[in-house]
Amino acid sequence: MRSAILRATFLLLLCALAAPATLAAQKEVVVWHGYRGGEKTAFEKVVAQFNQSQKAVKVSSLAVPYDAFSDKITAAVPRGKGPDVFIFAQDRLGGWVAAGNTVEPIDFFLDDKIKARYLKTTFDAMSYQGNVYGLPLNFKSITLIYNKKLIQTPPKTTAELVTMGKKLTNAASGRFGLAYWYSDFYYHAALMNGFGGSVFSQARKPAVNSAPNLQSLDLLLKWIGQKFMPEEPSTALITALFNQGKAAMVFSGPWFLGEISKDIDWGLAPLPAISEAGGKPMRPWITVEGVYIAAPSKNKDAAFEFVKYLTDVPAGKVMALEGRQTPANKGVYADPQVAKDPILAAFRKQVDTAVPMPNYPEMTMVWSPVTTAMNTVVKKTATPKQALDIAQKEILERIESLRK
Amino acid sequence: MDSDQPAPASHRRRFLIGLAVAALFAAAFGAFLLGVAREGARRDAEERRSVVQLLALTDLVDRAGGQPAAAEEPSYGLGEELPPVDVPAEGTVPDTGGGLGDELAALDAGADSAETPDPGAATRQAVAAFAAAHPEVKAIRVVLFDGLLLEASTALEDLDEKAGEKAAPRRLERDEKPLYDLGQQLRAAVEGNREGQEGEAREEEIAAERLSGGLLRLSAPMERGGAPVGMVQMDTLVETPETRGAGFPWLAALLAVLAPVGLFFLISLALGERRALLATLAAVLLLVSLSAFALWSTRTLAADRRAAAEATAAAVKAEGERSIAQLAELGLPSDPPPAPETWDADRYRQPRGLVQAGQAGATVDQDRLDHESHQDAGRVHRAVITLSLIALVLLLYVGLGWAARTGAALVEHRYAYTYTVPALAAMLLLVFLPFFYGVALSFTNANVYNTDKSIFETWVGLDNFVEIVRDIGVAEQTPDGISWNYQSFYWTLGFTIVWTAANVVIGVSVGLLLALALNTKDLAFRPIYRVLLILPWAVPTYITALVWKGMFHKQFGVMNQILQIFGFDPVSWYDHPFTSFLAVLTTNGWLSFSFMMVVSLGALQSIPADLYEAARVDGATRWQQFLSITLPSIRPALIPAIILSVIWTFNQFIVIFLVSAGEPGGSTEILITKAYRIAFEQYRYGYAAAYSVIIFLILLAYGTWQNRVTRATEAIGE
Repeated sequence: MRSAILRATFLLLLCALAAPATLAAQKEVVVWHGYRGGEKTAFEKVVAQFNQSQKAVKVSSLAVPYDAFSDKITAAVPRGKGPDVFIFAQDRLGGWVAAGNTVEPIDFFLDDKIKARYLKTTFDAMSYQGNVYGLPLNFKSITLIYNKKLIQTPPKTTAELVTMGKKLTNAASGRFGLAYWYSDFYYHAALMNGFGGSVFSQARKPAVNSAPNLQSLDLLLKWIGQKFMPEEPSTALITALFNQGKAAMVFSGPWFLGEISKDIDWGLAPLPAISEAGGKPMRPWITVEGVYIAAPSKNKDAAFEFVKYLTDVPAGKVMALEGRQTPANKGVYADPQVAKDPILAAFRKQVDTAVPMPNYPEMTMVWSPVTTAMNTVVKKTATPKQALDIAQKEILERIESLRK
Repeated sequence: MDSDQPAPASHRRRFLIGLAVAALFAAAFGAFLLGVAREGARRDAEERRSVVQLLALTDLVDRAGGQPAAAEEPSYGLGEELPPVDVPAEGTVPDTGGGLGDELAALDAGADSAETPDPGAATRQAVAAFAAAHPEVKAIRVVLFDGLLLEASTALEDLDEKAGEKAAPRRLERDEKPLYDLGQQLRAAVEGNREGQEGEAREEEIAAERLSGGLLRLSAPMERGGAPVGMVQMDTLVETPETRGAGFPWLAALLAVLAPVGLFFLISLALGERRALLATLAAVLLLVSLSAFALWSTRTLAADRRAAAEATAAAVKAEGERSIAQLAELGLPSDPPPAPETWDADRYRQPRGLVQAGQAGATVDQDRLDHESHQDAGRVHRAVITLSLIALVLLLYVGLGWAARTGAALVEHRYAYTYTVPALAAMLLLVFLPFFYGVALSFTNANVYNTDKSIFETWVGLDNFVEIVRDIGVAEQTPDGISWNYQSFYWTLGFTIVWTAANVVIGVSVGLLLALALNTKDLAFRPIYRVLLILPWAVPTYITALVWKGMFHKQFGVMNQILQIFGFDPVSWYDHPFTSFLAVLTTNGWLSFSFMMVVSLGALQSIPADLYEAARVDGATRWQQFLSITLPSIRPALIPAIILSVIWTFNQFIVIFLVSAGEPGGSTEILITKAYRIAFEQYRYGYAAAYSVIIFLILLAYGTWQNRVTRATEAIGE
């Protein structure tokens, strides 16, 4: 008994003595991320590779449960209790900058060579008020997912989509040509942006009731009237329909792929061009996972070295092939292994028409009013004009009430 | 008091101690507040004088920036500090050991030797001239965003050793990132404020930072052609050890304690042990001394303010004159002429309008000054009134003997108090602190834009509550009938009450019925039934909620399929407030009956069987037995369960949030989900906190009422 205690004490002492000796020169960088499963494994592999590649910086990563992640950042980082680096989607960026002492601007570190590494849309998503606050790591966007058994060649235009959709629909047996969460504003944004619409005007004023936005809703109503999509769509319903082979096409993102059952033979294709908008492509919103340096971090230089490594090609390759993520670094797609992967190639193609979801803090005021507007429009209790006018008014009121 | 105590406590002594404690508290706190206010005012005044200088400098740099360097070497006219230096044609630096002047001359030389005129050189000349005219300005840095350039610098570390290596112009180094980021932050603020509505500035365009050694660092954006392209930063020595902390009113505070205590002691000698008189005397003395202190504070602050305003005016005048002189010397354009009165600006670079520049120099706007002093006086009065109230309470607490009683109780039950200390501390930390923080938050307009500000900066008093209470307009008469405003507080409140009442009625009646059924003697498979009936309670609520949500789906939900079997049309459950209400009610009914059943069952089993036997012998019917035996017997168990159930249902977040999500249009929202949406979808934390406080008050009122009613009936029953 006593010898065990002695031995333990000795070991502890040894550790205490040894630890500073080996770590003295190393800078410790802590990274928070919200990855799980395969994405987490791939990410941790990249971290390990970075730690092996050099001696100066030691990175340790912590997976934070996703639903608590954003609150944790808002609460911990400004008070200096957070990590040195964290990974999060760009939609909260503006709010963090407005709140202050959360994300570090990194313009200073960037040269043209680094800036040119990324897909332009993903890099654009990282700047706010003319400053760059992070480097893009991965992106997610919706695209067209189709059942290969039911569809040989995916539609290139919405006209083709509607014809195919109608043909494959059989309301009695619960079969539908197309299923997507059209009553959700995020999914609808692909049509809205396609018509040239947007949530904010050039001068950053809310403009949800603009003419292109109304046109996009008119087209949606026309589609609903043609009854090739299920009523009251929800993610659970869409997944179930697709897995039973009862939905031929789905608009959804990478998160959907993991839900598809093994019996379904599926493929990906870019969202079709909108025939009603003169053949302009549908432009879905992308969310970009950015790597940010925490403003109170003590090791910003070391942190940036890691951020640079993480968003470089070798790391991107690991995350693409093993984590099944879609990296924002252009160079990754030149790699032959990545290039021949149909899923990665499909999402890479979709980015060309995608637009970053706005990262203004005002965006958070938009969701609830537009959700209500979408629901009333889809249920035909209001015309698009009425619904969006109400939403516009409410958004302005909400922003105003914050600025008092 | 106890008769066995040797000497009964003296009222005189108690009030004397009470007065001393109260006066000490009030004077110490008051003096502290005054000290803080004076310190703040002093810093403000320093900052204002420096802002005048900074904006004068920015004006100079702006003018120089667009200009090529003056053709001939300008004569600085700076006295011995910066001797004019002959610039050798080769552009080498003469080693005269003149420090600052040499370096600047070197820069000029470098610029002059270049073929094309360099606007940077003009900037550096201007900066050097300004620095020379202001010995208290220890460093000036001019940063250009384009190329991360340090355009000019008079900072010692950029000039001292390794001549030329760190001298401006040069690219910013990595450890100078904060400098660049600060500039970018100001640029973003300028652009953001321009985009803002009605020219209302929201973000500060001048950054101020206190450095060690009494230095104040101010930074302002530098604009060319209306676009911010860089930043001017200035470190000024504003504070000396003598000025620091000089504002604390030791003497006045001491007087405010000693005077009333001394007077009380003398007068009370004459009054003797008359309690009421003593109390009045102590209170009057306390209030008089506090009022005197308040008056003195107001005067002091007003004098401070006047001195500060005059100093600012003097600075404006001096800067104006210097500016005109230097523009001429440096050969910079003086059209449009400098407007020194605009240099007295706030952090948003909006002129304060306190100093007016006229033909006769700068003067202080008397009305503005009086107005500001008046505001100071108002603040002093509010603080003193609050302090007086607290001090009076303290006085009476000690004077009337309550303090002695508290002390006695603490001593007598010291073990009990010692044992409860850990629990009390934990409660304080985990329950009361968050609770009071939430209450405090409800008096602010905290939101996503001002999370970096303290509670005091966002204080709005009762505004949130007034806004909620005034949120009327529930119904509106339109040609098509009454149109309801589902966003109104009163709609949500009404819905919450209906929702709670309906749920509790359903939960209690279903639960009680099932309990009665299960309580049947010799029921076969009773344990199995019991487990089955408890299951809804055991499954996680959110899973049940999501399952029910799916069952109410229009096309695929089981509810509509049953309806269709019987030949009805499918219903869009979430399209109408009433059907949506039915959906959430069903879900919550399913979730809540188990609890009621378990409680009732326990109570039922504790009823002695002989009661029923006796009733049967007396010829009572089943119904009579239920009313006279069963109900009264289970009431003690049922009533707390009902209270709990009301509170749970009132705050039943999950079911509403997941099943109906407030659809359609927020009509089936209850108060708690509404508060959540306000906090996390509209990001109005203060307003949401006010909602929560109202929920708390409603439940508190309900709980108190319910307790009283039930206790009353119990008393009658006994």
